[in-house]
Amino acid sequence: MTVPVSDLPIYALIFASVAIAILSLLPRDLYKAVIVGGGIEGLSLTVLFMRLLAPDVALTQAILASALIPALIFITVYKTSRWES
Amino acid sequence: MGELTIVNIQTASFIGSISLVLIGLVAVLFIDNLIKKVLGLMFLTDGVNLFLVALGYRVNVPGGAVIPIFTEGFFKAHNASMATAIGDFSARAGFCLPYALVLTNIVIGAATMSVVLGLIIRLYQRHGTLSSSEILTERMEND
Repeated sequence: MTVPVSDLPIYALIFASVAIAILSLLPRDLYKAVIVGGGIEGLSLTVLFMRLLAPDVALTQAILASALIPALIFITVYKTSRWES
Repeated sequence: MGELTIVNIQTASFIGSISLVLIGLVAVLFIDNLIKKVLGLMFLTDGVNLFLVALGYRVNVPGGAVIPIFTEGFFKAHNASMATAIGDFSARAGFCLPYALVLTNIVIGAATMSVVLGLIIRLYQRHGTLSSSEILTERMEND
């Protein structure tokens, strides 16, 4: 089947969210891991939910999964150790 | 432009969600650091959410799929005939029951995550490390 050109960014976003999830598990600095795996992955999923006809889910995802949970993990890393041994 | 034969958006989302769940499972089971285990748990939740949202998507409908909100413009596009407008809307709108499930799932996931992070802070205060294997061996020796 043929695919319209306007759908091509969606395929890029799906691929990007999987690739970002793998990349965020690599660095030894836990702050970097949280920014990449929490924030950027949540934002890409937000745009994906917006495009998959669910704007209400996208609003909740934008607030909770890409802002609140990374902030909580940041506080945890600040209170414990920053470098993975 | 030539023929580009790939899967549609829904199938691509299914493949992406399954790979997210697999990445999350591998991270939870095989990575030693506790913070990265929490990141893996988050990827698992995101994969399940993406799967449920992709279930409600409509593919191959004439005129394209629309967001499930019935607005005034939809009514006017069918010359103010309510029956044809509702029929066209119900054929094109996304199925919105999984969206309510996912909305609840995101909020519950945030609450679970805060409890898990509080437990991790207590573990670090008692054992002085974030490595799960060191914490396990230390607890084995104490017992």
